[in-house]
Amino acid sequence: MTDQPLTIGSWPQAILHMDADAFFAACEQAIHPELRGKPVITGKERGIVAAASYEAKARGITRAMGLVDAKKICPDIIAMPSDYETYSLFSVRMFEILRRFSPDVEEYSIDEAFVDLTGLRRKFHSSYGRIAEQIQATVHRELGITVSIGVSLSKVLAKAGSKYNKPHGLTVIPGRDIHRYLDRLPVEKVWGIGPNTSAFMNKLGIRTALAFARKDKQFVKKHFTRPHQEIWCELNGISVYPVTAESKSTYQSISKTKTFTPPSTDREFVFAQLSKNLENACIKARRYGLAAKKLILFLRKKDFRSIGVELKLSRATSYPAELFDSLRKGFDQIYESTIPYRLTGVVLGGLEPESRVQFTLFDDPARIEKIEKLYHSVDELSARFGKHTVQHASSLPAKLQMQHDGDRGDTAMRKNSLFRGENRRQRLGMPMLHVNV
Amino acid sequence: MQKEPREEKLRNRIREISQFYYRRNRMPSFSEIGELLGLKSKNSVSKLVRKLESLHIIERDEKGRLIPKSIGFPVRVLGTVEAGFPSPAEEELSDTLSLDELLIQNHEATFLLKVSGDSMSGAGILPGDMVIVNKGQTPKSNDIVIAEVDGEWTMKYLKKSGNSVTLLPDNPNYQPIKPKHELKIAGVVTAVVRKYQ
Repeated sequence: MTDQPLTIGSWPQAILHMDADAFFAACEQAIHPELRGKPVITGKERGIVAAASYEAKARGITRAMGLVDAKKICPDIIAMPSDYETYSLFSVRMFEILRRFSPDVEEYSIDEAFVDLTGLRRKFHSSYGRIAEQIQATVHRELGITVSIGVSLSKVLAKAGSKYNKPHGLTVIPGRDIHRYLDRLPVEKVWGIGPNTSAFMNKLGIRTALAFARKDKQFVKKHFTRPHQEIWCELNGISVYPVTAESKSTYQSISKTKTFTPPSTDREFVFAQLSKNLENACIKARRYGLAAKKLILFLRKKDFRSIGVELKLSRATSYPAELFDSLRKGFDQIYESTIPYRLTGVVLGGLEPESRVQFTLFDDPARIEKIEKLYHSVDELSARFGKHTVQHASSLPAKLQMQHDGDRGDTAMRKNSLFRGENRRQRLGMPMLHVNV
Repeated sequence: MQKEPREEKLRNRIREISQFYYRRNRMPSFSEIGELLGLKSKNSVSKLVRKLESLHIIERDEKGRLIPKSIGFPVRVLGTVEAGFPSPAEEELSDTLSLDELLIQNHEATFLLKVSGDSMSGAGILPGDMVIVNKGQTPKSNDIVIAEVDGEWTMKYLKKSGNSVTLLPDNPNYQPIKPKHELKIAGVVTAVVRKYQ
């Protein structure tokens, strides 16, 4: 029974999942070659480990650990300030390399992607496993970082494959071998099965992914809802989640959040943080030609408890000037002055194409047209001189004070190592190798 | 909503289709055009397509699928609509290279490096210069390479003769380097950029 394959079709379709190994830390090691083989972490400016290299992980460093604790465990740890510009450049390049192999690339997160390889064996004169090897080698040669890859019949299985052997692993799971891998996989490790579902499954006597996959369809239909029925299909090698190649050209919602240290009880400063997030979210919305119908704002206190409020807007917009009244109202509703805050966030929801926004009966078209013109100019100035060249006065306190205490000297090296013609806001969109030659 | 002049509206639609083409590396289907532009009926899409065909912005193959014509060059598209015919100057310029294309062969494998030393001054590479480094290409003899030799980083000419490898500076004040234990080549220098103003 346990040796019986779940499916005999070896490759009805081939889905690849790529997951970069310790991505942020690996980017740092790629641009600072002297850091290779050393325990490196990023997130210095926040005082929290954002990512740890495998060398650091081997010494017991984990994500979200405090910097002070990390230094106790591993005194020779090298802490780097986050350099999101470089990480983003690496991320885009990884996806571009994947697109050399297949047009169907789904950018799942900054360091993860799904690729549909179905039908590409003939083109590359090689097996799906060989294609995956080539992808892995290309990323390693051109970017100097390693990735782990899983190839199988569905997204859920491919994801299990990429996790199976990390770092720099390559796990190919053809149809006839699925059961061998699922037998060793606890059900709570399956992508999409959370702690509640896995607890419920345990009560039904299901402990491994294989036990779940072997249940018959009637049983699964009786006990589980649609999402878990789909996962059951995926585990059986029947692909139900398609690889959606659309790169993020449109959004359901746009969110901007930012932490600041130390936590603050200064009302205007906390509001300025919120206001800056709103401006950033609106810039992004305008870049994609979108307008929001919903505005969500939230604050996180020092004790990590969050409070938020959702506001409906009478007309979809992407102009902060039209949103500040609502923002202020929502802020006043949830702000309590006694507890220090550490993070603010803004979410623009209910997004629709800007071109389809209609005036309501109570709008003042002349005023809105004026606002449109104003932001058009703001965007032009930003394009020329960098983001936030012109900004709202309510965001000013956030600009004047450092985002993080001790920020000085903790900015990414790229921001201080400029070529003639570059400035702190705008640099060439290409990663820089930091070696002295 | 302010009433868009017809031309402006058409131009926006062309831009949307062109952006789709650039994003996805293929032309949209009729139903995708409908979705893209908020056109509900296939008929209105096909009207638009005929219009764009008559402007030589797109073409259709024998199966009726769209082929990009001037939409492949967004700058020219604007010219086409505005002037009614492509200007001969734009026609001539469609085969030119940008500075980026000239300097960068494989974008994904290209890194920048700020030079600090003067060991390659004879080759015209000075401190403060920006060099463009390609990590994706196999280094050949006589290439300028960025390399790690026995734990030290350096930029030199790579000289291969038989089994031996030497790294040659282009400045009489420096000595050639023969790797004793280890030589790792991080990339090949493909260009140097010096901006004066």
